[in-house]
Amino acid sequence: MASVTTTPTSNGAALSGAVSNRSRWLRHGLLQQLAALRWGIVALIIVGWFVYYPIVDNLFVSTTTQDIFTGEVAYVGLDNYRRLLDDPVVWRALTNNGLYAVLSVVFQVFAAFVLAAIIEGLRSRAWRNFWRAVYFIPSAISTTVTGLLFYFIYQPDIGLLDALLHLLGLQNLSYTWLGDERTAIYAIIAMSQWQGFGYSTLLFTIAIQKIPRELYDAATVDGAGPLRQLFCITFPLTREMTGMMIIVTIAGAFQVFNEVMVMTGGGPNNSSQVLGTWLYEQGFNQNDMGYAAAIGVVIFLATLTTGLLQLWYTKRRRVEA
Amino acid sequence: MQRSIHSTAAMIAAVSVISIYWGAFPATASAAGDAPVADPAAKVDYSGKLTILTKFGLQLLSPYFVNVAKAYEAQHPGVKIELIQENDDSIKGKTKTLVASNSLPDIYFSWTGTWGENFIRGNRAVDLSKVIGPETEWGKTLSPAAVKAFSYNGKYFGVPLYLDAKFMGYNKKMFADLGIEPPKDFDALLKACDALKDSGVVPIAIGNKESWPLVHYLGQLLAYNVPTETLERDFNPKTATFDHPGYVAALEQYRSLQERCAGGAQVNGLSYQTALQSMSDKKAAMYYQEIIEFDQAATKETALKPEEFGFFKLPAPSDGKGSATALEGAPEGYMVNAKAKNVPLAIDFLKFLTSQENGRTLSAPPYGQPSAVIGGADKTRINPNVAEGMEEIAKASYLMPWLDTVNHPRVAAAWLSGLQAFAGGSMSADDLLASVRKAAAAAARQ
Repeated sequence: MASVTTTPTSNGAALSGAVSNRSRWLRHGLLQQLAALRWGIVALIIVGWFVYYPIVDNLFVSTTTQDIFTGEVAYVGLDNYRRLLDDPVVWRALTNNGLYAVLSVVFQVFAAFVLAAIIEGLRSRAWRNFWRAVYFIPSAISTTVTGLLFYFIYQPDIGLLDALLHLLGLQNLSYTWLGDERTAIYAIIAMSQWQGFGYSTLLFTIAIQKIPRELYDAATVDGAGPLRQLFCITFPLTREMTGMMIIVTIAGAFQVFNEVMVMTGGGPNNSSQVLGTWLYEQGFNQNDMGYAAAIGVVIFLATLTTGLLQLWYTKRRRVEA
Repeated sequence: MQRSIHSTAAMIAAVSVISIYWGAFPATASAAGDAPVADPAAKVDYSGKLTILTKFGLQLLSPYFVNVAKAYEAQHPGVKIELIQENDDSIKGKTKTLVASNSLPDIYFSWTGTWGENFIRGNRAVDLSKVIGPETEWGKTLSPAAVKAFSYNGKYFGVPLYLDAKFMGYNKKMFADLGIEPPKDFDALLKACDALKDSGVVPIAIGNKESWPLVHYLGQLLAYNVPTETLERDFNPKTATFDHPGYVAALEQYRSLQERCAGGAQVNGLSYQTALQSMSDKKAAMYYQEIIEFDQAATKETALKPEEFGFFKLPAPSDGKGSATALEGAPEGYMVNAKAKNVPLAIDFLKFLTSQENGRTLSAPPYGQPSAVIGGADKTRINPNVAEGMEEIAKASYLMPWLDTVNHPRVAAAWLSGLQAFAGGSMSADDLLASVRKAAAAAARQ
């Protein structure tokens, strides 16, 4: 009889052991999650306070008019957004941001890619390092300093650019680059490309270095020239970096502020305003924080769209890999 | 996991929305209540920190406040003074940032006109009437016109530190070499420009990258061409019409001055300081400048020596409908923050700042800021040009305020950007005035 009772006892012990293991495992998992939450909650509070709260607060402010001196706030609904649609400077600023984006993609993505491929194609390692450093140095200078530097370069009559044109006998091309409504924004964008070009080139050289040399060797054996190798090997294998650079560059073009502020302050006659400087002008010079917040919402939507594109692109590339 | 991240984000957004809903509108009362009134009998507690926002950030001027602060700290060891020194361009943004974040220092710089009125509307300035009013002991030590410039609705809110006005600085030697006399009327100025241009120099260096320098030219020309009462009516957006023919006349006069005396449309590409440097380097014969800049334009170190520097009032046109004896300028000074912890200490410091001795130091080189203190300029110590300029200010029948600080910010912005377009040739005088009228109408609706 005794032997009959052993099996259930042994089964029960096994079962209770399994249950105990499972509950220990669950308890362990729960403790781990709680520990993670404890660490994560601090970050969540910080992100909530410094990211989510200002975004939502800005939405509220954009539906009001505010006088920063008296602190008076009046709810105006969507009036600030209606004013946005009628404000010619907002459209000009959007166009300037768009120009910034397009020209930055051309120079800081495609031209930088070609330059990186040329630098990486050099046989001498010393020359490769030299040219990388030469193109990268402008990126290490602060935008404000670069803006001031180019302000002096562009000065009519006494600026370096005019001096160079005179030296080359091209004084007819001498121009008030920053003082003319038609050229001011292009002069600022040119400075920005000079500064950002080297940084993009460096990123592309890193991406190109990751491509196995055997592919180029095999292509050379098959008779492919440098141009064919560029389009058939380098470009496809750096596609991920190119895509990311396009998105980052476009997002950056909608956040431009310092260079415009330092070089023209948005002038002459608001011709070089971008959304960031127009927001500042409205909020801090014209004491119109509600309208400035509405401009902020436009900038937010533009950068959010590019941010979502970036997320989508990264996710898609991960799935493909 | 992704779902939980989304839920957390939604939760944070919801909490933010609720907190803002509770928090946003009560904020309207942040500056409510009457401004505190300074008590002349209040005992000064010489302890703690005093914060001051100055407009003396420029390298040449910054030592003034540093030295005054050190001298005050030496007299009162329990007091620590913290200075925030900004320059003419940066102080506007800095002040508004400090106001928006309720972080104004104990003492802060202010222009007169709408700029100063903003602090009073917001109850952010201490009512100093009982300590600096014209009948008070302290008030009697300061220029009455300068004290009055900081009065609003019969109350006094500011302490004037120096007087400022705009004059045309010129190179005496260049004028003498060409046999040109300082012009007495606007046409004579244009003729002088022709002669100077023919000799190969830039007659007047104009730099308008910052957009306010042209507003100064126009301000003086408007004072000559538009009756004073019409101008003052137009400073208020609710009564403004900007339809006096003097406005167009003043703009056309500026246009001829730019074409015959300066580098045409390229004025927008040069900064104010670069243009000033052109005169200091003897590349330009004239420069329209503030009296507080006389000691910067010509120094022992610059090519243009102090003895070669002269000045005259921007000449008035012969057929102007305004006042030919008006002068563009205004005193500049300081206000006390209504929320300052130690108002008596702040007032005591300002009294020290406007003492006879500090006034004389301020008026003399290297600072050259004509003190608002009566007798605050020792003629043996100051630049004779500054002394003469102070006499011109005293003689002026009307002090025309700066257009960009006396007008509503929207109207000021229309003048600033419109004048850049006008100088660049992309806007006519009529179009510019139409944009100013439109801005005034929008400001009146606010």
